[in-house]
Amino acid sequence: MPKLSRRALLAASAGLLAAPASAQTVKPRLTAISQWSAGSDGAAITALGKKFEERGGVWQHSPVPGFTTEMMNKLRAQILGGDPPACSQLKGPEIAAWSKIAPTVNLDAVVAAAGYEKVVAPDLARIHKPGGKWAAMPLQIYRTNTLFVSKRAMDRVKADKLPTNWAEFNALAEKMKAAGIAYPLANGGSRPDDGQKFEAALAGISPTVYRAAIMNLDEKALKGPEMHAAFVQLRKLADWMDPNTASQAYAVHLPQFVAGDMGMMIQGGWAQGVLLNAGFKLDDFIIGPGPSDNGKPVFLLNADAFIFWQRKEADLQAGQKLMAEMVMDPAIQTMYSQITGSIPVRTDVDLSGPGWSDGQREAAATLKAAVAANQSVLSLAHNMAQENGMTAAMIDVITEYVKNRAITPDQAVTRLAEAVEGAR
Amino acid sequence: MSGSLRRFARKLPELLVIWVPMLLSAGHVVVFTLWTTWVSFTPSTLMPTDGWVGLRNYSAVLATRNWKVAFDNLLLFGFSFMLLTTLVGLALAILLDQRLRGENVLRAIFLYPLAVSFVVTGTVWSWLLNPGMGVQKLVNSLGWTAFRFDWLVNRDMAIWTVVIAAIWQASGFAMALFLAGLRSVDADLLKAAQIDGAGPVRTYARVILPSLWPITVSVLVILLQFAIKTFDLVRALTEGGPGIATQLPALVVYDFMFQRGNLGRGSAAAVLMLLTLLAVLLPYAGWTYLQRRRARA
Repeated sequence: MPKLSRRALLAASAGLLAAPASAQTVKPRLTAISQWSAGSDGAAITALGKKFEERGGVWQHSPVPGFTTEMMNKLRAQILGGDPPACSQLKGPEIAAWSKIAPTVNLDAVVAAAGYEKVVAPDLARIHKPGGKWAAMPLQIYRTNTLFVSKRAMDRVKADKLPTNWAEFNALAEKMKAAGIAYPLANGGSRPDDGQKFEAALAGISPTVYRAAIMNLDEKALKGPEMHAAFVQLRKLADWMDPNTASQAYAVHLPQFVAGDMGMMIQGGWAQGVLLNAGFKLDDFIIGPGPSDNGKPVFLLNADAFIFWQRKEADLQAGQKLMAEMVMDPAIQTMYSQITGSIPVRTDVDLSGPGWSDGQREAAATLKAAVAANQSVLSLAHNMAQENGMTAAMIDVITEYVKNRAITPDQAVTRLAEAVEGAR
Repeated sequence: MSGSLRRFARKLPELLVIWVPMLLSAGHVVVFTLWTTWVSFTPSTLMPTDGWVGLRNYSAVLATRNWKVAFDNLLLFGFSFMLLTTLVGLALAILLDQRLRGENVLRAIFLYPLAVSFVVTGTVWSWLLNPGMGVQKLVNSLGWTAFRFDWLVNRDMAIWTVVIAAIWQASGFAMALFLAGLRSVDADLLKAAQIDGAGPVRTYARVILPSLWPITVSVLVILLQFAIKTFDLVRALTEGGPGIATQLPALVVYDFMFQRGNLGRGSAAAVLMLLTLLAVLLPYAGWTYLQRRRARA
């Protein structure tokens, strides 16, 4: 139980006294922390704040730029001090973990009133409902297994069709290699980069096994033949990457990728925004869904979200309600995703308008189809499938495997199962 | 004003300036060390919580590959960094001691890296050592195309890039201490050696270097705590990679505490680091104590 500070108690009792008199007149206010301060993320959250003010609210956003851990430390300090923000950025299973530390708001009534649950992917809804009650609101979705192919690299091998399964992907990469493209796969050297290649491999081979092994940590699935096949595929991918990358970001390779000196890229949808921001054109590259061996689309899901912390002040409670309603609003989701390049959480938003790119339209359509085929799964590399401790333990094995050719797929399967056991 | 009060007033600045900060920092160190040790025995995850799990956090940390790699790296990095930095520092000091012109300028240049933060050192060396844009590329473009210097991305050699950058950073400091030692060698001893007909090599080996022994020990101890707490250098240079090849214990502690949200295991790792340090420092303290007693006797 968090200790209540004297200030919070005072504010709470003041709120109680004032509540009956001012229930009608209270001005909704929202204190929020996030790490979004610059670039398209900063622009999107600022635009959201403007809308909040237009609807009569007081917007008090304190960005904590830099690593996510710094924002978490601020959140931790505020919770320990008994003064949590009305809402804060948090994602994936960490929502359930943190909601055990301090009481969260029950948003069930607001969600039910908006009829929201039936337009959200089921896996996504589940992680925002710790203990079966809505405590957090997803804000936007990115696909982490988006396939980017360089137009110029395609021209060099005279190909025009995107690969749809791993066999076609491997054939195209070999063709590029034979045509003198030294590194058919552009990749960064960071941990999530390596993790992303692995999750794309496994989910493309079998989304069912991905769900069992990675999301549910089923022991049998973790040691199954599909895991072995995923590590075999990951070795191929690793051999097509530039080994000189060290710990740089994937974005370092974007100029080579566009020039056709690197062929393909498996990245999150955000890479489109990064490419456009770097001055490249939409016709420099082709976007499609990541390879799927069973022919039906697979969507590896990453979503940003806000969690709502219980406050006693009437104005903050009104602000939380307003914020929750706004985040569910298709117009707000449209505005937000058009700024950041993500896709809306709602599967019923019309993306035919001029503000959307073909890549976003394709990703949204794929999400809908993947949800229908029960093939939308949560990203491991971006902390959606497991809590941070488990994720990090698994990525340790994956990133070591990518960087060390001496580790065999069999060893990798065993090590991954051991790492899961150790982090439980 | 009475005499004792006046004496107290005269002593007051000393009390305020020395004892207050001293007590505060000692209190901080002791209290937080005890607190961390306590947390390491609790089931704390995102927040410190009460409870007792015995040595479970320790066994969990010791079982991870990360910790094993980090500890092996610490031994390798610690020993080679301490040894090589001392040698480089000593060599620089001896060279500077030859009454060079421009000694002051050179001394400043060699000391300068110490004024640069580890993050800057790490970032600069990560560019220099990157085979795609640093030294290798330069030599290749000069015509020697077969030249390879890819330690940064070679998981077996990557830890040596950390050693190189750390030596660059700290050897100026070792040099400064050694230079002071060289300058304070008793002139009579040197004259005696000269009269006995000892050449420069013999003078250094038999007279000067033995008298530097106490300074060498101080240098080694200071470098040791540099080595054990190395964090930001690796973070900026390799991020613990390729893979987990350049993990060090301080990174593992940070990782457990703040990225994996497991304060209990992070604290256990921190206590293990402290024990490592004590394993070296306690014998050193004992040794200096014996030395002092022998000197008094």
